[in-house]
Amino acid sequence: MLLRTKLILSFSIVIIIGVFLSALVGVHLIGSTVISQAQDKVRLDLNSAREVYVEEAENIKNTVRLTAIRFFIEDALSAHNYKILIEELNNIQERESLDILILVDRQGYVIEDPTDHNTQRLYLHDDIVDWVKINKKAVVSTEIISGERLSNLNPDLAQHAKIKLIPTPKARPRTEIEETSGMVIKAAAPVFDRDDKLLGILYGGRLLNRNFKIVDKVKDIVYRGEQYKDKDIGTATIFLDDLRISTNVVTADGSRAIGTRVSEEVYDQVVVRGIPWIGRAFVVNAWYRTAYEPIRDINDNIIGMLYVGILEEPYVDLKNRIIIIFLGIALLSGIILSVIAYFSATHITRPIKALLFATDKIAHGDLSHRVNIDSHDEIGQLGESFNHMTSELQKATEELVGLTKSLEKKVRKKTDELKKAQVSLIESEKLASLGKLAAGIAHEINNPLTSILINSHLVAEQLQDKNDLARFLAIIIDETERCAKIVKGLLQFSRQSLPEKKPISINELIQSTLLLFDSQVLVSNVRVEKEIDERLPQVMVDDNKIKQVFTNLILNALDAMPEGGILSIRSRLSDDKKFIEITFKDTGCGIDDKNIGKIFDPFFSTKGVKGTGLGLSVSYGIIKQHDGSVDVQSSLGRGTTITIRLPVQATDVK
Amino acid sequence: MSRSARILVVDDEVHVCNSIAKVLEISDYIVDTVLSGEEALKKQGANEYDVIITDLMMPGISGMELLKVLKENNPEVHVIMITGYPSTKSTVAAIKSGAIDYLPKPFTPDELRRAVAKILE
Repeated sequence: MLLRTKLILSFSIVIIIGVFLSALVGVHLIGSTVISQAQDKVRLDLNSAREVYVEEAENIKNTVRLTAIRFFIEDALSAHNYKILIEELNNIQERESLDILILVDRQGYVIEDPTDHNTQRLYLHDDIVDWVKINKKAVVSTEIISGERLSNLNPDLAQHAKIKLIPTPKARPRTEIEETSGMVIKAAAPVFDRDDKLLGILYGGRLLNRNFKIVDKVKDIVYRGEQYKDKDIGTATIFLDDLRISTNVVTADGSRAIGTRVSEEVYDQVVVRGIPWIGRAFVVNAWYRTAYEPIRDINDNIIGMLYVGILEEPYVDLKNRIIIIFLGIALLSGIILSVIAYFSATHITRPIKALLFATDKIAHGDLSHRVNIDSHDEIGQLGESFNHMTSELQKATEELVGLTKSLEKKVRKKTDELKKAQVSLIESEKLASLGKLAAGIAHEINNPLTSILINSHLVAEQLQDKNDLARFLAIIIDETERCAKIVKGLLQFSRQSLPEKKPISINELIQSTLLLFDSQVLVSNVRVEKEIDERLPQVMVDDNKIKQVFTNLILNALDAMPEGGILSIRSRLSDDKKFIEITFKDTGCGIDDKNIGKIFDPFFSTKGVKGTGLGLSVSYGIIKQHDGSVDVQSSLGRGTTITIRLPVQATDVK
Repeated sequence: MSRSARILVVDDEVHVCNSIAKVLEISDYIVDTVLSGEEALKKQGANEYDVIITDLMMPGISGMELLKVLKENNPEVHVIMITGYPSTKSTVAAIKSGAIDYLPKPFTPDELRRAVAKILE
């Protein structure tokens, strides 16, 4: 798997985990925050609803209290003008939208219009009336009034209060099919005469069954009638026991859900155990965030519940919308992070790829390749180290190549030297065996030559006359002497032993050689001209052998000039100061062009009986042994110039 | 000179030996010839020679050894070294060992006579 793929994969895993976790936590937080906000709002809303409820109750209480202290009641009672009293109370009841407003006497009997057809006196047995009798002050409370008593008070009211039970899922089982009792906010206030004597008790109330004033007021005040998808967001309900008697929760057909009941769970907690319910609840046909609290009567018995609820749907939708937005953001960040990760991975792996490429190049011998990494991180350092390593490697390789070359050169040089040495060894071995042969021949031939020479001389001495016989004998003697000369030359040629070199002045050597020829030069009418460079350095040579060379060359020059001439001997340092040049120039007969190439061959001679053909050959061998050279220039009839070059720095052959 | 000088010629080549002897006899010297160093030493023991002419290279006792022995026995003896294989080295060696002259072969009767006469002057 490519490094880049690995990096992208790791990045992706990190991104996916990060995005997933943050989405999970975010969604949860958003959900719980939104919902808990809704819940908190409901809790506050319940307080507001209670305030509305209490205000309503206080209004009723105040209406009753203020009516109770009006003088017309005392006046009417003392005047027994009940008709007017009842009329006035009815007026007030109607004006104040009360369902009940009656006056009872001290005994508790309802004071009625005596003209009314119903003459039976009604005794109002009521807890708050008793309470007012005892406490002598106004009071308000929510109470349940049975259908029968309602009917007694007002048959129309009883009828109005009747609510059919609608089967509701999750509600507690009830056998009744109709609720006849009414829930009433009741207030009672004492009526005193001018002497503060209790005349009676004014008793008023408002039936809550099908009375939507409070719940709609709650809806308007708290929720301002906001709607969501044609549904009221906020709802309020007053329960009688578990039955909705006043509500703005609507059923599927859009009518108020009067007659439906609360779920058994809520009922058990709030009505049975008296603990407020705060939480999610299924109300009629939708989920609400709800708050329920008990409604108690004057004796603190729980008789019903006050409820507010917020439709959960907007919050759920909000939550879902936020979650979708959040997930979208998460997805988008995931994508952006992935793109960044892709480019990061590419960016990270690019120098590594370059390194890989470079490594491959170097592995294939291209040591000049360098990586170019701009980053200043570890990879940049790696690149620098790599380049450093490569240049060191290159340097080392170049050194190695150089060493190899110089080694090859040395080996070649040594091989050449060895070959040379071998050649010279073979040559010297050849010469040695030739020398042995020549020595043997010389010795064996010289003995008979001695006999021939002596005896022919002896015979010649005996012949006094110069006759033909003497002439023949002279030829024998001459030829014998020629044989002796050849043998002598052969001996010289065979004695090309290794030179024994020592520092010698060439000029002195020329002088001492010339001394040998003093008498001969004089006789032969030859003039010797010397041109000697006095500053010549000494050279390492075998003086005997070089002297032999000079002797041979001088002899040849003299032989070339039988009629006399000039022999010029010159010594000088070569222009490059590496050689000493000795020139022997004669004005003799010269050498034919065709013979110039042969003059160093053994036994080649142009001198006939006078030469052995070995002099120049031996000389050439000697000069070669001294690492020198011999140069011949000649023109027929004008003379010959032979130049010998000897190295100033002698090389030791062995 | 009261008497003829006595000369011993030593050479393993019988013709050379005889030829030398002949030349010297003509010049009135008394000449003995032998063909080896061993014989030469015997002859020398029995006679007094004025000059001994010996070849350098001989089987058995060489001319150089003979020269040394002769010089040991009688430092006054005159020895001429003759050789068919002349070289500077052997010449120098012979003269150093006491030889009075050195004649490379082949030589003429005159050269021989001159060399002997020079000694006996």
